[in-house]
Amino acid sequence: MIILNKIISFYYREYKLNLSGFQDILTNIIFFFVSIFIFIFSIGPDKETISSIGIGIVWTLLLLSSTLSLRKFYQDDFENGNLLIMHLNGFSFGFIAILKTFSHFIFVQLPFLLSIPIACILLNIANDELIYLFSSFAIGSFILSCLGSISSSMNLMNQRNFLLGSVIVMIFSVPIIIFSVGIVNFEENFKSLISILFGILLIVFAINPWASGLCLKLSLENN
Amino acid sequence: MMFLVNPSKFNKVADYVFLPALISSIILFSIGLIFAFYLSPDDYQQGSTVRIMYVHVPSAWIALLTYAIMTLYSIAGLAFRIPFGFIINTAVAPIGAVFTLICIISGSLWGKPMWGTWWVWDARLTSVAILFIIYLIIVFMNLSFENRVVREKVIAIFVLVGSINLPIVKFSVDWWNTLHQPATISKLSKPSIDPSMMIPLIIMTFAFVMVGLAIAILRIKTEIISRKSYLS
Repeated sequence: MIILNKIISFYYREYKLNLSGFQDILTNIIFFFVSIFIFIFSIGPDKETISSIGIGIVWTLLLLSSTLSLRKFYQDDFENGNLLIMHLNGFSFGFIAILKTFSHFIFVQLPFLLSIPIACILLNIANDELIYLFSSFAIGSFILSCLGSISSSMNLMNQRNFLLGSVIVMIFSVPIIIFSVGIVNFEENFKSLISILFGILLIVFAINPWASGLCLKLSLENN
Repeated sequence: MMFLVNPSKFNKVADYVFLPALISSIILFSIGLIFAFYLSPDDYQQGSTVRIMYVHVPSAWIALLTYAIMTLYSIAGLAFRIPFGFIINTAVAPIGAVFTLICIISGSLWGKPMWGTWWVWDARLTSVAILFIIYLIIVFMNLSFENRVVREKVIAIFVLVGSINLPIVKFSVDWWNTLHQPATISKLSKPSIDPSMMIPLIIMTFAFVMVGLAIAILRIKTEIISRKSYLS
């Protein structure tokens, strides 16, 4: 019961933090839309071209804009000592990683999920494709959260070259992009492709607490 | 076998192995290149471009072998707390990157006359390109962390996470219908390659292994010396 209270207070704290820093999330979403505009300006406003590559554009830009907020994943809590306090309160490092991943999914990725329909209108994507995009993004964004947790915990002590964290997320998200864009193109294979995506999610979710917990522990020990 | 995990014993063995490896690599390279350029026959479809295979295939094998070695040593370093594993990780990553680059470049030189294009987005080619980028990330991580303990352990964790890519590279030709041909030699049944091409390929493979071994010994010894000076 005590651990449940602690989890609830953890999420209450995350909620407060994200509410006070709401303009950061909003800036991410604005980045997403501005890059859609720039994409459309660079390929020309031809309706059929845009709707044929629209899903790919949405996925690429979602990936890019979710890597923008990676720096905030653990860095603030690491620098002001909150990670250590959470650990002293009885959370293991792996459990902190799981909690943080869910909080990143809820507070950073869900606003993107809500902004997808507007992007679909801008990119002229058909309404019946929207459900495929939604289901693939709901799974894929959680995978991105897990990967973001791994890469940002790896780069906690890396003061020189933080862009490496984004590169790590992008290189491991290649299979996700392949399968999630494939969902829309092959509607008859929808079930098998979404099972593959779910399998990737389970693999990454199993690796995540181990890898990020170990990296958090290392960084806190050697800080 | 303690020289595989103990730096001072490794130094002793390496002193014996280094010169023979270097000399045998030179001899094997000269024999293998003579075989590859003059003594082996042309392919009936590919003509003379089949000779690129004698560089392409060994470098691809060594690129994969290097990553497998790094994975094993990362497990040893993290699970059994053997610091020599981290030394190997640091020393060997650039070698793997270079062999992967040789593999990619020779493959695209072969692909231009045969497939009509330098690059296709085929499963094998993409996964090898990802392997190359993973190697580059490891090299850059080596350069960008300031704390030594964090650096080596984080790199070991990254190597373990990235080892998911290894089976994908190996089985990509079987799982997906790709342009790249499936394995002809490293499969369970009898190799479907003629002995006249098999012999130079094996000689070139040993030559590449020896050259990689010589460079690796040099780099590992340098790494051990730099650690000693760091600790003292």
